[in-house]
Amino acid sequence: MNRVNKRKVIDTSLKVITYIASFIAVIILGAILFFVFSRGSKLLSFKILVTDYHSKPYRLETTVSAKGLSFENPHIKDAYFSENFGFAVKDDYTLEGIKTIRFVYIDDNSPLKTTINEQGEKSPFKEGFIFDSTMRAVLEDESTVTIFSRYGAENLVNVLSDAVGIQTANVKSEGGGIRGSIITTLYLIFLTLIIGLPFGILTALYLHEIAPQNKVTNLLRSFIDMLTGVPSIIFGLMGAAVFIPLTSALFSNPDMKRGSVIAGALTLVVIILPVVIKATESALSVVPKSYKEGSLALGATKTQTIFKIMLPNALPGILSGAILSVGRVIGESAALIFAMGTFIGDKISITGRSTSLAVHIWSVMGGEIPNVTLASTIAIIILIVVLALNMSVKVITNRFMNKYK
Amino acid sequence: MFKVENMSLYYGDKMALENINMEIKEKEVTAFIGPSGCGKSSFLRSLNRMNDLIEEAVTTGSIKLKGSNIYDRKYDVIELRTKVGMVFQSPNPFPMSIYENVAYGPKRQGVRNKKVLKEIVERSLKQAALWEEVHDRLHESAMKLSGGQQQRLCIARTLAMEPEVVLMDEPTSALDPIATQKIEDLIRELKNDYTIVIVTHNMQQAARISDKTAFFYLGELIEFDETTKIFSKPKYEQTEKYITGRFG
Repeated sequence: MNRVNKRKVIDTSLKVITYIASFIAVIILGAILFFVFSRGSKLLSFKILVTDYHSKPYRLETTVSAKGLSFENPHIKDAYFSENFGFAVKDDYTLEGIKTIRFVYIDDNSPLKTTINEQGEKSPFKEGFIFDSTMRAVLEDESTVTIFSRYGAENLVNVLSDAVGIQTANVKSEGGGIRGSIITTLYLIFLTLIIGLPFGILTALYLHEIAPQNKVTNLLRSFIDMLTGVPSIIFGLMGAAVFIPLTSALFSNPDMKRGSVIAGALTLVVIILPVVIKATESALSVVPKSYKEGSLALGATKTQTIFKIMLPNALPGILSGAILSVGRVIGESAALIFAMGTFIGDKISITGRSTSLAVHIWSVMGGEIPNVTLASTIAIIILIVVLALNMSVKVITNRFMNKYK
Repeated sequence: MFKVENMSLYYGDKMALENINMEIKEKEVTAFIGPSGCGKSSFLRSLNRMNDLIEEAVTTGSIKLKGSNIYDRKYDVIELRTKVGMVFQSPNPFPMSIYENVAYGPKRQGVRNKKVLKEIVERSLKQAALWEEVHDRLHESAMKLSGGQQQRLCIARTLAMEPEVVLMDEPTSALDPIATQKIEDLIRELKNDYTIVIVTHNMQQAARISDKTAFFYLGELIEFDETTKIFSKPKYEQTEKYITGRFG
């Protein structure tokens, strides 16, 4: 009886420990998700996905006059309308969550329609543009008054109601979006897989099927294993030291000495190679030996057997390796900071500089005022992309497996 | 068909087969019997050089197929395996359609013409007595077939190569009695066109289907003779003990 009781006590306590451990793990993971979603959901919008990061400044060419002008108020909710200048503004936040004044309405005949862009070309600004600096208004006695955007939309309209003209006005298009970083991330995924997968799969085929299984092969294998544990910043150093000069020379483009998407992709290729090789090798090792024997016994050559039997049957495993790699590409930041730079770009090209989403997070957190909210928003987007990828892989793998089973 | 002379097989330091001499006749069924680990399967696999897959396997002596030594360095092993087909212990169809399974071998030899392939598939499945059961679902997965059907598909797959010899490594050991019966009927049928070498654990099976029987024991060929003789009055005591079920 005593022994039975003792056993019961041990069993129960072990059980309780397992429960507690898994509970804590779930709480921690849940807390991370909760933090990211509660902080980031505020800024999550479709607009942030499709907007450029860099805003474009617009300014007035000369002083505009509002003498004798009167515009009809469109009555937009929460907005303040300037009757003499013909625009409506409201207090709003930028995509990055910074307080600002947004133009929500501009009459076609408004004197502010005479703005010019950076290049000095005529380019009237549009609704949705933001005002976050200063404006200098001309009063009736020809004195001027400076309006600061930080006093809000109401103040702007009130001051302007006594003004007869505006001397300078600095407005800009909406910025702070992550369109460029999303596209760069997609570029990186595509480039890395298109270069890395063939290399990785063929290496795995060599190691598993062709190479003599001796000490040299095993040494090579443990070397590849070791690479999976190397901190990615070291790969970044290699990217900076090797791939940046290499790609710059290849494209004979000195601008690429500051980093480029292709140099980043090549660095990522090196990072995912061990992952792909490992995944492919383990996928190959679960292909039943009888398939291989069957194929060889039918007079197929070793190479035919590898490409017609081994490779197709290892495909689900290779696919999951590819997805793991995509995960690494999306999540990689340290290596890319070195190989690709931290310049957030809007015009994306393989030879240009831009950031991936993860490096974008690094950038917004690295400024004078770290923007946790925006970082969390980008984190949500990354999480959603990873989730979508994982699900699509499950669907593809299931389809593939069910076809002949 | 096969002439084996002073053939020995080593796995590393371990001797698996010792000094085998035998002759396998054309269009006969030759059965290899013996207790587990006696080397009969190893010997069967030597006949189409499947032992090459084992890195440490070393073969000495000679096995001549129609006069040329298949272990000669110049002998093309791919050529050999198209002539000497093999059916394995457990059915191992590829995870492809029935059609693709049968067409696999010819395709690897460069047959691309769809009409020719179709004819090969039909002929092979008919020869393997499987056509009636599968002709309306050739493009379904071979994995959906029953074990017996799968094994006949593997035979069809081998026959598609138009081999001269079909090696069978305990082809019915994973099958139920009815499926076994069908395979045995098939072997009797195939004997007219092919030379068949079969390894079996089942003495009754050897007695039922084979013309000649070889008894292996501890890596040696103990006795090789007409099946009727082996089973009625074997020359050696070990053979008699084995076939009467006193050991093994």
